Amino acid sequence: MALQRIFGFSTQPLPFSVAQASQTENHIGQFYTVPASHIHTLFPHGLPLRYQQQIKTFNEACVMIRQPALEVISYLKQTDYNKPALRYIFYGTNGSGKTMSLCHTIHFCYTQGWLVLHIPDAHRWVKNCKELLQSSFNSARFDQPLQATEWLRNFRITNESFLTKIKTKHRYVWTKREFTEEGSLLGELVDQGISRVKSSSDVVGAVMKELRLQSGQSDAAFRLVVAVDGVNALWGRSTIKKEDKTAVDPDELTLIHNARKLMKNDWNGGAIITTLSQTGSLYSPKLSYRPQELLGQVKRGFDCMDPFIPVSVPNYSEKEFESCYLYYIDRHWLQHPQSHTEEGKKELIFLSNRNPWMLDKICAFL
Amino acid sequence: MASYSTKAFLILGRINISRSRLQNATNRATYVSVLSMNSPTGNRASCRYQVGVPRTEKMPVDQDWTAVYPSAAPFRPNAVPLPVRMGYPIKGGVAPDKKANLELIKIPNFLHLTPAAIKKHCEALKPFCTEWPLALDTDAKCDEHFPIKVQTTHFVSAGPSLRNPSARIVHLKNYDYAMYLLTVLYHESWKIEGWEAEKTVADMEEYSWENSPSQRNLLDTLTRMKVVEEEGGEEVRQQLLGQAEVQEYKDSVTRLKNEGENEDTLLQYKEAVKKVLKL
Repeated sequence: MALQRIFGFSTQPLPFSVAQASQTENHIGQFYTVPASHIHTLFPHGLPLRYQQQIKTFNEACVMIRQPALEVISYLKQTDYNKPALRYIFYGTNGSGKTMSLCHTIHFCYTQGWLVLHIPDAHRWVKNCKELLQSSFNSARFDQPLQATEWLRNFRITNESFLTKIKTKHRYVWTKREFTEEGSLLGELVDQGISRVKSSSDVVGAVMKELRLQSGQSDAAFRLVVAVDGVNALWGRSTIKKEDKTAVDPDELTLIHNARKLMKNDWNGGAIITTLSQTGSLYSPKLSYRPQELLGQVKRGFDCMDPFIPVSVPNYSEKEFESCYLYYIDRHWLQHPQSHTEEGKKELIFLSNRNPWMLDKICAFL
Repeated sequence: MASYSTKAFLILGRINISRSRLQNATNRATYVSVLSMNSPTGNRASCRYQVGVPRTEKMPVDQDWTAVYPSAAPFRPNAVPLPVRMGYPIKGGVAPDKKANLELIKIPNFLHLTPAAIKKHCEALKPFCTEWPLALDTDAKCDEHFPIKVQTTHFVSAGPSLRNPSARIVHLKNYDYAMYLLTVLYHESWKIEGWEAEKTVADMEEYSWENSPSQRNLLDTLTRMKVVEEEGGEEVRQQLLGQAEVQEYKDSVTRLKNEGENEDTLLQYKEAVKKVLKL
């Protein structure tokens, strides 16, 4: 567990280090820094775009400790990992901090040594697909080689250490001459997918299946956390069109099909942490944010995820807003002299309604 | 051609006018002669009738108003002792007052229906009424004992004018036929058709938890959590369903689906899930 610097404002004037695992409710509103090495390994994909720009500007990645993430972390500490995987869904209005809460929780799992299976934005798999291949495994389905290879590459970066330890339990045949033997390393499977782009979607499916089967076994060396951002994309609609201009149902996409199988809690030894996202979603009303509205009552999404634990992510509380404001001032991000006054602060509260995304947008450059 | 015809019309018109003017002249002559007979001074002003004091000045404060307006009557400014104003305000001023105010006369007024007048009407109608049954004190009880309501309208109109918009218009309601129709519908509604058996989950009016995917998921999860007892089957299922946490979970899911989502129902669902999965 790496020691991290804490930026405390309300009670502690001097920064002090608290390990990731021992963050408690007292630390709500304070920032902690994620080491740069962790960022490169754990988050090659998955952080919000604006936050990535902020990391580059401030030269550090400070994450605010907030109640929803702490709640899920506390559940993760208490669960019995011989039982089926529990599902958590972060929900809230646009820009309230769901993706950041997810990243905070994943970082905790990473520091505990878990294997992280992170799908950064499931919406990206159901729209803007440049290449669509018919699947060789099941001719009714479609492959997305570009998205699959990109994901496999990032997966390899995150879980480098595990790839040399886990062995496959099944035999996979890719073409007449290429196959992966039983008992070969997971790293080989992933390399196979990255080099042979045509079969990469099936490789993704195979990786997910292997990990699902192996985690929770008594001889397993790892715990698995499955993190999906924008899980409502798995049961929504897609804008990808087939050659005859009819829309593709997400069910017919190999990547989505395999991800859905992961969402079921028929495996143990880990956790499934997801967020709902309206921002990237297709054909959903702008103001909807609750689980049933986005997962769809009729479209099986809710029934597939049921029973899950919904965790609400609200806008900043007064203390959290105060903390964020002081952080921006400390980083010299708020340059305008009026923003340092009480009046300016009230203006910021009014304009942003304490919504984290809105506050970031207002405080940014023009 | 056209111009010729118009000229002809003009000539005709002029002839007409001259004729009517002659008539007027004779009429005026007679009028003037009458006047000269009645007023020796010839002053038209003193011929006017003496305008008396308006009745409102003579009204005592505790008068019987029902005697002033016993029935529907137009607004009489000299009979209503209220300083009302009505109409569009003149420039720089207020609405015109009640004297000779057409706006007040045009509109219907209820000066004949003051509480005192209504009381008198009720007293007059009381000998013709019977007591309300005391047992029927709520609307629900009325609906329970008398589910069918028949509406009939009779009215009598008495007033100075015989013009009433509802007169001579009759909507005939066949009471017997209506009763027959209701009986038929009641008996038909109890019959079950063959195609009703094809009712799907999407047709259901309310969400029921039994045999829903939610119940299956939960039982699945619980059996896996116990890790044992794949056999046992039905009894194990009943045992699981009988637990209090499962009942609570069932209530929360039903509430979530039937009532819709809000913070309240979601919180209840979260607590129920935590208890069932023993977090």
